[in-house]
Amino acid sequence: MIAYLSNLATQVAIFGILAATLNFILGYAGIFSIAHAVFFGLGAYAGAQIALLLVPDVVLACIVAAAIAGGLSLCLALPALRVRGEYFVAASLGLQMVAVTLFSELKPLTGGIGGLVGIPLPTLFGVPVGVLPVALAALALILLATALLARGSFGRTLTAIRDAESAAEALGKNVAAAKTLAVGFACAGAGVAGALYALHTSFVNVESFTMDYSVLMMAMVIIGGTGTLWGPLIGTVLLLSLPAALAFLPFLPATEVGAVQQIIIGLAMTLLMIFRPAGLVGDLSRGQTTA
Amino acid sequence: MLFLQLLINGLQTGAIYALTAAGFALIFGATRIFHFAHGTAFTLAGYAFLFAWRADWPGWAGVLVAVAAATLFGMAMERFVYRPIQRHEGSFFTVFVAAFGVGIVVQNLIGLFAGRGLATVDTPLSFGTEVLPEIFVAPILWIAIGTAAVLFAALTVFLTRSHAGVALRALAQNPDLIRTYGLSANGLSVLAFAIGSALAAPAAIITAMTSGLNEAIGHQVMLISIAATIVGGIGSLRGAALAGLMLGVAESLALQFVDTQWAEAVSFLVLFAFILFRPSGIFGVAAAR
Repeated sequence: MIAYLSNLATQVAIFGILAATLNFILGYAGIFSIAHAVFFGLGAYAGAQIALLLVPDVVLACIVAAAIAGGLSLCLALPALRVRGEYFVAASLGLQMVAVTLFSELKPLTGGIGGLVGIPLPTLFGVPVGVLPVALAALALILLATALLARGSFGRTLTAIRDAESAAEALGKNVAAAKTLAVGFACAGAGVAGALYALHTSFVNVESFTMDYSVLMMAMVIIGGTGTLWGPLIGTVLLLSLPAALAFLPFLPATEVGAVQQIIIGLAMTLLMIFRPAGLVGDLSRGQTTA
Repeated sequence: MLFLQLLINGLQTGAIYALTAAGFALIFGATRIFHFAHGTAFTLAGYAFLFAWRADWPGWAGVLVAVAAATLFGMAMERFVYRPIQRHEGSFFTVFVAAFGVGIVVQNLIGLFAGRGLATVDTPLSFGTEVLPEIFVAPILWIAIGTAAVLFAALTVFLTRSHAGVALRALAQNPDLIRTYGLSANGLSVLAFAIGSALAAPAAIITAMTSGLNEAIGHQVMLISIAATIVGGIGSLRGAALAGLMLGVAESLALQFVDTQWAEAVSFLVLFAFILFRPSGIFGVAAAR
């Protein structure tokens, strides 16, 4: 039971990081990325390779993962600078699809469909540690950074860009730099989550980085409330405890739990958008003005 | 010879892409709603045909059921999802998430009730015969190309000659003026969804007979439709259809150089290049927002 709870807590912390960073570009900057799982995957592969080839040091793995995911975030930043709205969603979907093909085909780096197995247990400066405390610390740091960035001038610039890009530009804001930085920060955070995930499960393969996961992360942010600090975290807890809750329903055959869970998530997304588009935590009046 | 065979296969895929893309482009052009559940209409039509076929219904009845399923789904989406959302706010992302949610629900319901994995309809139409040395052509190729050509001709006549068609084009340009003239913008919206979704049905039936369906095929269809619409230029029906045909041919011809798993990636690389370098597409007039 303790092991189960600790596993669930680690999952919540890792997906909490993903939801918080996705919320940063989605809620504050208005960049609707459906490719967050790509950067999660990049971080996971980077962290796994570091642990397999060098040392399983959790901090080193996180730093390398953040650097790689943050660097490659240019793939997402470039279309974000060129287009908005529907066009960008299409571009990020395209990126997601191409990345899944790359992940399953670049066998020397990713292990292909089989994935990377036997990732050693994490250490910190040579001392063995659990992933949970590190993940919680990383989550706290990311939430703190999000809160500070969102409240400071950077966050205000981003919200200004989200609400009226040309007005922000007219006021002398460097739109390109702000967008690139925001995407870089969010993707680096996803990379950290990926490295932690690889060390936690000691096995990674492409299954965890598909569009389904990008959509799951998006659902966490939206169900919780976009553009709020705690909303994504609440969404994460709700969605991750859903499988456990469904397991208590005796009439449900085990093979169909996944499908039922997906149906609930899908329904929740649609109904929330119709009746409460700002999410569970979000402020309704504000949700209406952010178009 | 391989080139010619791939070109023929590409034309068949391209005809299917062109039909779905034209439906998507028609809906987007007229209503400005980015109909992310368009792939779901395709999936529903395909499975409706599959069930009719397995129940030993005659072919024409299966086609009718498929068209009805797609059309009703499109109209229901307009009435029960998009219209309530647009009443209180028109944010693009809200519309997108709602439509995406519907797509997930339908995909999993089909998985529950129809079973997961590949499902095909075997007919004599999809068996290839050797027409030239090493070139195999199945009758379904002519059906695909013929259906696409006839439907486009009909659509063009409808949009340029009929009263409702002209009103639809007017809706695309100025919804306020439509209301001023006493026409119902809501009614025209439903009409656009009905016609656009119906166009996905023949494509779904042909796909069921050739490469087969699976419950997640809607994602791919939706992505291709979006890619074709953007590459062709938003608002241009002709552009979307042509781009759909091109993407199908390009995916197929790329097989000469790369393995099959990369075929899909080809379409997205084309889309990515267009978004970066020419967001307004081939026939686009308005600049991207």
